[in-house]
Amino acid sequence: MLEIEGLEFAYPSQPASSMRFDLTVDDGEVLSLIGPSGSGKSTLLSLIAGFLPAGAGNILVDGKPLHALAVAERPVSIVFQQHNLFPHLDLYTNVALGIDPSLRLAPAQVESVREALVRLGLEPLQGRKPGELSGGQRQRVALARVLVRRRKILLLDEAFAALGPALRAELIELVKALVREQEMTALLVSHQPGDALIASKRTAFICEGRVAALAPTAQLLTESEPPQLREYLGSQ
Amino acid sequence: MTTSHAIPAGLVLALLALLVLAPMAGLFHLSALPGYQAADLRIWENAYLRRVVYFSLWQALLSTLFSVLPAILVARAFAMQPDLPLRRLLLGLFALPLVVPAVVVVMAVVSVYGSDGWLPLGRSLYGINGILLAHVFFNLPLAVRLLLPQWQAIPQHHWQLGEQLGMNGLQRFRFIEWPMLREALPGVLLLVFMLCLTSFAVVLTLGGGPRSTTIEVAIYQSLRFDFDPAKAVVLALLQLGLCMLVAMLTLKLQRMPEVEIAISTPHRNRTNLFRWFNLGIILLATLYVGMPLLSLLIDALRGPIGETLGDLRLWQALINTLLIGLSAALLSVTAGWFLLQYSASLAREGRSKAAKLVDLAGSIVYVVPPLVIATGLFVLLSPHVDVFDWVYPIVIAINALMGLPFVIRCLGPAIRQNQARYHRLCLGLALQGWNRFRHVEWPLLRRPLGLAIALVAVLAMGDLGVIALFGSTQSSTLALMIYHQLGAYLVAKATVTAVLLLLLCLGVFVFVERFIGGKSDAGN
Repeated sequence: MLEIEGLEFAYPSQPASSMRFDLTVDDGEVLSLIGPSGSGKSTLLSLIAGFLPAGAGNILVDGKPLHALAVAERPVSIVFQQHNLFPHLDLYTNVALGIDPSLRLAPAQVESVREALVRLGLEPLQGRKPGELSGGQRQRVALARVLVRRRKILLLDEAFAALGPALRAELIELVKALVREQEMTALLVSHQPGDALIASKRTAFICEGRVAALAPTAQLLTESEPPQLREYLGSQ
Repeated sequence: MTTSHAIPAGLVLALLALLVLAPMAGLFHLSALPGYQAADLRIWENAYLRRVVYFSLWQALLSTLFSVLPAILVARAFAMQPDLPLRRLLLGLFALPLVVPAVVVVMAVVSVYGSDGWLPLGRSLYGINGILLAHVFFNLPLAVRLLLPQWQAIPQHHWQLGEQLGMNGLQRFRFIEWPMLREALPGVLLLVFMLCLTSFAVVLTLGGGPRSTTIEVAIYQSLRFDFDPAKAVVLALLQLGLCMLVAMLTLKLQRMPEVEIAISTPHRNRTNLFRWFNLGIILLATLYVGMPLLSLLIDALRGPIGETLGDLRLWQALINTLLIGLSAALLSVTAGWFLLQYSASLAREGRSKAAKLVDLAGSIVYVVPPLVIATGLFVLLSPHVDVFDWVYPIVIAINALMGLPFVIRCLGPAIRQNQARYHRLCLGLALQGWNRFRHVEWPLLRRPLGLAIALVAVLAMGDLGVIALFGSTQSSTLALMIYHQLGAYLVAKATVTAVLLLLLCLGVFVFVERFIGGKSDAGN
């Protein structure tokens, strides 16, 4: 379980604690985060990953706090919209880096990379470089690396935003399956309410650095409160 | 539209061909005459020629290594310290050597490392040591400025991934930084090598003796002192061959980096030890670049200012310098403008190979060094006219040619982008000719235009290549005057003149860039 309690942050140009998050995500759940640009969705993911230092508050994973852990020690994997892969390395190496950056892998680890590539349908492409792949294939490689890393928390920062609707839906289904299989907890940031409908039973609306609403996805997308949500969704 | 650009561009290309090919043809013709052939000169049995070629390559290699290898550390240190106090000022200091004339740099190097300097090297300054010190002064900051954007182009997400995957410093360098560096390094190494191979003023003033002469200087010496055009021809052809080889290697090896250029916040290094290491590297590089200029200024303030400024020939040289600099800049930018408009319209029509060829034609001076062209002109014109009477047109034309690659680099991307964005809109609004220039091109292009004019002007003002070959005491420039003062052991006067030239170059650069480029960011 991921628990975020009174997590505060402010960029240098902002007043102190201009963002404050409280949120709980259950094991095996994919929680979607929607909201306008600049509302703090990606900032929240960066705080969980440790890329940004929190001003106050706690992040707990299965009851254990993360704040003292360095980025690499946190039980977190993240997938961005782009630049997830190193362009000069082939697929196999990009995935293998997820286990050990020295690339000195034991036979069992090599096998786990191969299994991940098979699971994601990438095995025939493993010698190729990212530049030779489609956008969807590249995100699959990033997900294969998530598989081999075996971390509890998966963060998806508009990971599928550049893909077409059908491919997006396919990859979201894949994420749901992976989360179930590895008993992860996932947060999915998206600008598309449709993605939230496919991905999540519950969705949070982030606005002005706060969780402004949290409800079952279908319900949230038809709610009339708060007014910023109506404005964001473009409905009266 | 292509046709309307084709006529002026064709004219420019024809003039370029005439200015480059005619002197080359003259050289080749002469080299085929009896007594002028390489075989007649027994070139490979000639110890002097062998030594000159060897020294040219050796000093260029050492200068390149001593400039680029430290530049990697300095660029990395700057990239890792985005919050460094005075970072912009320090990077501005690193841009200074690009506009400081070579002969001023020589004076600055002498001021620090000469017998009366802060770090005296004594007589050993003259020769390979002095040449290396001056070349590194020029090229280390250049390499830093070329390499720094490569680090800044590394996507922020790559740094974050590296951190999340637990990469240590070595692994970060291997997986994130080295791939970027490997892409950019051959181009930077070859560019610096080429600049050092064709360096003239530095070698002429700090080397030039029998043991430390490069081909470029040997050409000058064979024409001005030995009156031996045959040797000059052989040397010019040798230089041409070497430069073509390096240029071909550059074209072959220079590849675009594989990483996508994205908005990236520079990575912040978190360990204190590394931060202090980076600060130390930046401090050392700053001292290396800043100290000679500071020392030169102090020496000039203590020097015979009144006596030097009271010399009327100085003011005549100053006027000549300005005349040559501004004329060459206007000529170069006009030629570059027409070439670039034509190449941009070719690119817009999908004829990218033809567009690239037009751009390459403008950069011909990379392959054919100016002193080779000057030698060819000397050989071609001297039987018919007194070349020393034609000093101004020749010096202006060759300096304009030398400035063209800079014009193409400064203006090219902006003109191409401008055409790609607004060509159809202009067609739709029937904005053509003067109206298009006034309403669209001038406001959007004045910044790169101002930068191009300013750069070419200061390059021409500080040139001591062509003017040394054709100039005289009557047609001297400040750069040539400094060289003559040094030759007459008037070092104190030369220091004052050097600072005057430095201030003139900086003044012209700032004034032209601001006056033409404007203060506002009109282009954006």
